[in-house]
Amino acid sequence: MTAPTRAGAREILETSDDSLLDLVDNLLNRGVMISGEVMLGLAGVDLVYLRLQAMLCAADRVSRREEP
Amino acid sequence: MSRVYLYALLSAAPSCEAGVGVCAERLRVVAADGLVALVGDVAEPPEPTAVILRAQDAVLRRLALAVEAVLPVRFGTLVDDDTALAESLAGRRPQLARALGRVAGCEQMTLRVWGESAPAAPVAELDGGPGTRYLAGRRQAQAWARRVPELDPVRGQLEALVREERAERHDRPPLLATVQHLIRRGTGARYIEAIDAARAALRPWRVSVTGPWPAYAFAEDAA
Repeated sequence: MTAPTRAGAREILETSDDSLLDLVDNLLNRGVMISGEVMLGLAGVDLVYLRLQAMLCAADRVSRREEP
Repeated sequence: MSRVYLYALLSAAPSCEAGVGVCAERLRVVAADGLVALVGDVAEPPEPTAVILRAQDAVLRRLALAVEAVLPVRFGTLVDDDTALAESLAGRRPQLARALGRVAGCEQMTLRVWGESAPAAPVAELDGGPGTRYLAGRRQAQAWARRVPELDPVRGQLEALVREERAERHDRPPLLATVQHLIRRGTGARYIEAIDAARAALRPWRVSVTGPWPAYAFAEDAA
């Protein structure tokens, strides 16, 4: 397998599907909410049930934007 | 057990049928504390695949045809039921109403600035001790991260169209900066014409324009 070159990556970036790039940018730029469930058990007996909801995003997306 | 998937906050209930959502679920409107939310009941959290992202965008675009303001919510936001939704919105009404007012009657255009290298950041002489200079330098760097002087040749033409701007510089060429503009609905064609007319003046930088989009970048206050 050939490693992608910088020039190759540039070509992909510049010719990529703009609308998909925008969708990812628009919809995921502020982060994603992730939901999950965890069951902790011992010897086949369910003991603790956890339902998790986490926000995954860059730190600067959480902090409030400074007003100009 | 199904959960409630939150798509957007709306200025009012849509006059038409809301249609179906990303999991083919029937969309419905929940009114809570003076706010209107567009939701769907889903069995599993939607995954951020290209198909789902396109579907979610399509839902919001469809709604934008029927209501004045659509405030997109962070992708993947789920609550247990309508009561939990009302609780999560309670107490944030003034903030969310303000955010809805800001995007009312508006849509978003996105500009990307491409080039081999970014213009050099201005270097200002800083006074004071080392700590003061460090903090002032950080402040300058943060301000520069939201400045896109590459677009200065077109700002005059855009001034009458743009109500608000979000800008972000990127570290690695060829993508130098992304700028989102909030414009009045229906003025997208004039906006694109203004950019096209200024392409020669914008050189050596290349600018791509996409839109109109729902006002994603201007919905920081939404959940």
